[in-house]
Amino acid sequence: MDLDTQVKLVIYWNTAERGQPPGIVEVAKHVGESADRVRESYARLARNRLLVLEPDGETIRMAPPFSGVPTQHRVTAAGVSYYANCAWDAFGIPAALNRPAEVVSRCEQSKESLRLTIGLDGPEPSDWLFHCEVPAAKWWQDIVFT
Amino acid sequence: MLFFRSEELIDQWCSSRATPRRPSVRVDQLWQMAVTWYASRLHAESRRPGPSEMRGIFESIGLHGDFWDPQADTFG
Repeated sequence: MDLDTQVKLVIYWNTAERGQPPGIVEVAKHVGESADRVRESYARLARNRLLVLEPDGETIRMAPPFSGVPTQHRVTAAGVSYYANCAWDAFGIPAALNRPAEVVSRCEQSKESLRLTIGLDGPEPSDWLFHCEVPAAKWWQDIVFT
Repeated sequence: MLFFRSEELIDQWCSSRATPRRPSVRVDQLWQMAVTWYASRLHAESRRPGPSEMRGIFESIGLHGDFWDPQADTFG
């Protein structure tokens, strides 16, 4: 398995287990490489849109669907709490984990709370809606805004 | 990419921000998007869908038009 795949899996598996992305030293230890080589791998994974990094090049802002920073979209699955990057990713976390989950978020206009149970086959019936301001062709021009 | 309680509240939010009203998506459609993008994300062989795959995925769940086209050039 190539280094980038190993690094990606260490990041995603650790985040799935704990709810937060691991630090670069921990990732380097797992894959048996130097932090510099792992940083280079991070840059390649970011170019392939599998990670979004902070300006330091080693702190993980997003490992989609997981967020490395607190957001309004919370997901709990198997006793672990996660932050999602957006409404789509709030559903993406139970899909990635293949586990039932509870999504807690809000209506962006009224601020009414949303609490939705997600089973292995998807969400319970709900008339809530999802709205995306940015067209698909521009999602990655500023993924944090999107 | 946000949740809203109703179409009217999406209208209000877009109006208050002077931002274009986009197509709304039901939660069952959003679940299909989530599964398609992320169900294999924790696996070694996972990858993001390419542009033509994305178009096909969106169309298969009823999301049509340039807004959902990753290669559309109609948005400036």
